[in-house]
Parts: sequence; C-alpha cells; structure tokens
Amino acid sequence: MRPASDSVRRARPLLGTFVEIAASGAPRDDLHGAIGRAFETVAIVHRLMSFHERDSDVSRLNREAATRPVRVHPWTYEVLRLSSELYAASNGLFDIAVADELQRLGLLPRCDDGAPGPVTSPRTPNEPVELLSDHRVRFTDPAVKIDLGGIAKGFAVDRAMATLCACGVPQGLVNAGGDVAVFGAEAVAVHVRDPRHPDRTLLRLEIRDEAIASSANALDGSSETLVMAMIIDPGTRRPSTAIHGATVRAPLCVLADALTKLVILAGQSAEPLLAKYDASALLVPRTGDMFVTQSWAEEMRPAS
Amino acid sequence: MGWVRWAAPSAIVISIAAPAHAFRYLSVEQAQKLAFPDATRFVEAHVIFTPSDVAGIERRSGQKVRARGQQVWRALAEDRLVGFFIVDYVIGKHLVIDYAVALDPSGRVGHVEILEYRESYGGEISNRSWLSQFIGKTSRDPLELDQDIRNISGATLSSRHVTEGVKRLLALYETCLR
Repeated sequence: MRPASDSVRRARPLLGTFVEIAASGAPRDDLHGAIGRAFETVAIVHRLMSFHERDSDVSRLNREAATRPVRVHPWTYEVLRLSSELYAASNGLFDIAVADELQRLGLLPRCDDGAPGPVTSPRTPNEPVELLSDHRVRFTDPAVKIDLGGIAKGFAVDRAMATLCACGVPQGLVNAGGDVAVFGAEAVAVHVRDPRHPDRTLLRLEIRDEAIASSANALDGSSETLVMAMIIDPGTRRPSTAIHGATVRAPLCVLADALTKLVILAGQSAEPLLAKYDASALLVPRTGDMFVTQSWAEEMRPAS
Repeated sequence: MGWVRWAAPSAIVISIAAPAHAFRYLSVEQAQKLAFPDATRFVEAHVIFTPSDVAGIERRSGQKVRARGQQVWRALAEDRLVGFFIVDYVIGKHLVIDYAVALDPSGRVGHVEILEYRESYGGEISNRSWLSQFIGKTSRDPLELDQDIRNISGATLSSRHVTEGVKRLLALYETCLR
C-alpha cells in the first residue's frame, strides 16, 4: 500500500554552498512543488545579498551608498536592520563592514573595475550603515564596504522555511552549508562537526522548531574544498584566532548564523547576547576545554 | 547563567565517525520532469566530442574538458523544443557529484539540481569519514546503525566545482547545441 505521505530531499548549489531542503508529510508532488518554491526563495536572497554578483543589493550599496541613499529590497533592509541591532548590542563586534579585510586576505574578490580599493585610514568606529525610511540605506563613511556573508545564509534558511510553511508542508528542514533549521512535530537529528577534526562529529542533537549554525575558523587545516569561514575581528581588523569554532542554537537561523560569529570573536563574554536572543551555544577554543552555555547544558541533559 | 565545561561523550564521537558513502536525491527521470513540467518527452541527444568541440568548450569556459562526451536530452512539448537537459559530474577532493542543468532553448540556465553524490576514488580513502561533513550517509547502507546522520551543522564543501561545471556546460551549449 502506498504511504499516506511521502518524504523528499533535494539539493542545489546556492549561496556559495550546497543548500539542501527536505520536506515530508504531504503527497510527493506537493512536496516537490513546495521545495522548488523554497529554492526560489533562497535564490532570491542569493541574488540580493551576494558580494560577487554585480547587480545584487550588496554590490549596489558598495558602489553607491557612500555618496547617496540607495533603495534596497525589504529583505536586504531587514538583514541590515538586524545587523545594525547586533552591531549596537555587541559594541561594534558584529560588523558587516569588514569586506575590505576579506578582500585583502583574498577571501572576497576585488571590485569589478579591477582597481585597487582606496587606501584608507581605519574607519571611524561608528555604525557603518544608516537605515533611512522607505528601505533606503546610506553608508556613514566612504571607506565602508559591506559583506553579508556572516548573516545572509541564515536569513535565507529562515525565508525558505517560511516558504515551505506557506505551501502547507507539515515537516521540513533546510540546510545551507551547515546552517540548519527545522520545523514540524517531529524532532530531527542534527550532528555538529568538530571544528578541530573536520572528519569527526562532536555531538548529535535532536532539534524541533529551531535553528542551529556552526562557524569554524579556517586559518589552519583548510583544504581547497572547505568553505573558507574567516571571521574578522573589527577591533584588530585581523582574523580572529583564539576560538576555533562555535555552534549556536536559536529560534531563528539568521540569529544562530550571526551569533556564531560573535561567539568566535567574544568567547564567553558573548553570553549576555546569547541570552538576549534566547540562544544557547557550544564554544570550542583552539586549545583546552570546550564550554556550553548553561541553557545548552540544560537542554542536553534529557538527551544524555 | 554562564558557561559550563563540556566534554564530548566519546561513545557518540565514535559511533558517528562512520562515513557517508553516497546519497541519491533524484533520478535523471525525476529531475527531467521537475525541470520541464510541460515537456511530453525527452529525446536523447548525447554529444560525442570532436577535438574541435573540446577546443571550443575549453576556450569558451576556461575549464578543462575531461569527458569524451556529454549526456544531453532535448525536452519537447509535443514537437516544440522547450529546452535542454544536461547531466554532468564534477569531482571534488572527496566526492563525485552528479548534477543536472536545465537550459531553455536560448541557452539560459534554469535550475541546477544535484542528483547524487558519492565517494570519489583515487587516493582519498583514508579520508573517508571526511564525507560525513557534507550531507549525510546513505540510506542504502544496511550496516549503518544510525539512519539519520544527514543533517550536519558546520563547514561544508564548496560548491565551486559545480559552478565551474555549469560554466563548461554553457560553453558546450554554444559549441555543440545551438
């Protein structure tokens, strides 16, 4: 007999990684339709927020927003608004305006015209982006260049989940290169990789209606096939080195994604921020013991 | 609140270090129907490369052509051409990835869909468990105790190889199909 509901899992290359979407609990054709639309949603976020694509909102901002306000898509505006909130809440530690350092390190391409970026003195330590009415955005400093690589993937995952839900899918999962979100009645097993030993996983978690994201510093042991995940400390303008990796669980994937960067930069002092966003974290220092937040430890207890 | 020291339970680490060998998302037929829902049939139009094809594709794409040909189907709605469906693979350091590209009749890329990934052969066997960081383990492997090691949070493979492959297929369209 044919089961009442099916389960479908598909993958596409988007956001510079592989995005995997799984859905179950409805007829197969409906699941395929919903997954197709969810991929479309991810593709929209990709087109809006890619640093590499010339016509993305991010590229337009980087070209023009220092000289005049630039109008962006509401989703881009939303990501910038959250970035700005995190910038303020972290005293400037969450900074989307470190694209120049990433370019210097060869992790982001130079600008289209091939000209070297202007040699500038360090940016004034102010909010890099000014949010105006009507989804318009202006940069406060001509040296600013933004990259949403630390937050857009998580946002894309959330939007894809919303699309699945809107299509009536009862159970779903979106995984964009390790930024994972799940919804539905059933808990889903997610494994967290050990950033120190990429061939191993650290732990297995059951999550339900929740997101999880991990970041690792790829300063060493990176291979050509590993996505470079360099996190720049805005204070020193250099890659952060003390923390090897972090995993954050949060109600939204955009928060989990962004907060992993803050945990890598701030270590244990990121705890109030995690609490503010109802998130918990696992922290893997370069040497020595691993730590989890109290809230994480409490959630782990029943599983062990 | 605050932080507490945490140690990974060693039993768990060992049990989930098992490699993922392969995962199949879609068959060629399934992917064809999803890419061209209006098509009524798919006609094989596989290409065997001539030396000048290879030279043309390499010049246009800047990518090395390693295969001797390409699996191509013409998607037809009755007798009208609605697009091309091309199956290709790329080899990363650890994985072979089979994927499909749908082109409209003018050669514009519709979707790129991953069909399957599997272990790549050639000197990387000692790194087998590295595969577990991609997406998952196979549902076909009866030896796996834990059927759900598919959702991994953490750094993953770059999709760069596929992006480069798509560039090569667009050059193939220009050289051989249009």
